[in-house]
Amino acid sequence: MTFRDFSLLVRDTKVDGFVEGLLRGELLASRCTGCGALAYPPRSDCPRCYNSTFEWVQITGAGRLVSFTSVFVTPRHFTPDLGNTAPFSAYRYCPAPVGIIELENGLRVMGWILGAAEAELEVGMRLSPQPEVLPDGRATVVLKPAGI
Amino acid sequence: MKQVAVVGVGQGRFGIRCDASLRELAFEAVKACLADAQIDLGEVESMVASVASDELSFALQPSAQISDYLGFVPKPSFRVEGACASGSMAVRTGWMTVASGLADLVLVVGAEKMTEVPTATATDVLGRAGDPIWEYPFGMTFPGYYAMIARAHMARYGTTEAQLAAVAVKNHHYGALNPYAHLRKEITLEKALTAFMVASPLKLYDCCLISDGAAAILLASEAIAERFAKEPIWLSGLGLGTGTLSLSDRNDLTTLPAAAEAARQAYSMAAIGPKDVDVAVVHDCFTIAEIVAYEDLGLCPRGEGGRFVEAGETALGGAVPVNLDGGLKSKGHPIGTTGVAMAVEIVKQLRGEADPGRQVDGAAIGLSHNVGGTGQHAAVHVFSLDKGAG
Repeated sequence: MTFRDFSLLVRDTKVDGFVEGLLRGELLASRCTGCGALAYPPRSDCPRCYNSTFEWVQITGAGRLVSFTSVFVTPRHFTPDLGNTAPFSAYRYCPAPVGIIELENGLRVMGWILGAAEAELEVGMRLSPQPEVLPDGRATVVLKPAGI
Repeated sequence: MKQVAVVGVGQGRFGIRCDASLRELAFEAVKACLADAQIDLGEVESMVASVASDELSFALQPSAQISDYLGFVPKPSFRVEGACASGSMAVRTGWMTVASGLADLVLVVGAEKMTEVPTATATDVLGRAGDPIWEYPFGMTFPGYYAMIARAHMARYGTTEAQLAAVAVKNHHYGALNPYAHLRKEITLEKALTAFMVASPLKLYDCCLISDGAAAILLASEAIAERFAKEPIWLSGLGLGTGTLSLSDRNDLTTLPAAAEAARQAYSMAAIGPKDVDVAVVHDCFTIAEIVAYEDLGLCPRGEGGRFVEAGETALGGAVPVNLDGGLKSKGHPIGTTGVAMAVEIVKQLRGEADPGRQVDGAAIGLSHNVGGTGQHAAVHVFSLDKGAG
């Protein structure tokens, strides 16, 4: 497992534990051990106090949908007819809606929206973020209607 | 403060330029620019190049491709980058070179060859205009980001798909009158509303084109600005803002805070306000981007952008004509070229040299608004017929 199993492009970061978390079924944010600032996506370096140690915090609960779209004209990794067998193109996420939710603590999470058709989505509705492991072993983040 | 003037402008035809390489496109624009100022390249002291993407130009140093081909060796040249706002970064860097006294005459060249690679590759490269680590894995594309901005604007202000389409109809109307434009054809509201979906709710005609093309301007110091063939146009206000890399990190998706900051700086430096702007070019990479630009620039109140364009306020004869060159939408968007091409258009408007049917009569103050990525960078420049007090 490398970070690229989530990112598709970048292999090395100081927050590789995020992907390990997804594979364990946990969605992780970071908390700066200096000033306590929460960050999602997680980051190893705090832009507020410039401390570079952090601890992992699990994200739970639901958030409010800020915006969403479905991408029909897709980039390379998501274009099945380019013959790539990779990730999400061969699976069910293309073109699934993608959204950003805002949690009660103010953190914002991007993810694939599952369990609701695009026509059923509305800005402001509640969705909960969850880790998802794909059949090929890669990991991503999904947003599901709260309660599912 | 030192005054800097635009004393020459030139551009080549935008489009799918299967007939030319990056360096050849740049040559077309520079040749036209030198002819406009009626000088030889030998008089130019320094050069700034804008090419947004190495991956589209197959080069680590696209500026060397251009400067060598122009015959500019061994004088100073380098390249600047700020995604789709690279061109304005080059204009800004050119201004700095002149205002600092380092050179009296500087050539600013923007060039991009986007169609060398397949569309899916270009989509991939441009999709990384967001966060390549935390947003790209969700299949996000450039249209995808702006689609989210559109949805948020529609949800908060009631902006409609027809209002988005009205931007495209307007810009195609003017693009059809511009001989340098990529797609010179009018479209109807119905055609725009029934086109295929690119990233919901943005449809084909809500999105700009993938284009090749180049543009160039000459910047001169106050000491020599009057020596050229055309009257100088003064670059009187510069603003540059920076936004978060991820769209997810913005508290409000209905504005580009970097653009609002750039506008504030540029208005302050030029000592003008939005009401003083006679003609503007704004970064309509997507129709929603033009609507948000009106609001970030203060051309209309927040949330009113959709109604503003629908009422014809940004057409010729309206409150403030916007994108009379066809905009990125119809003229095309060779990404590193755009900011320089915007300067070319505003200079032509202020000189009264725009094509029939798209010239603002008596325009004295023009503005360009150029956004990089999804608002990670935004530059606003003010151009004036009259030299400021300095």
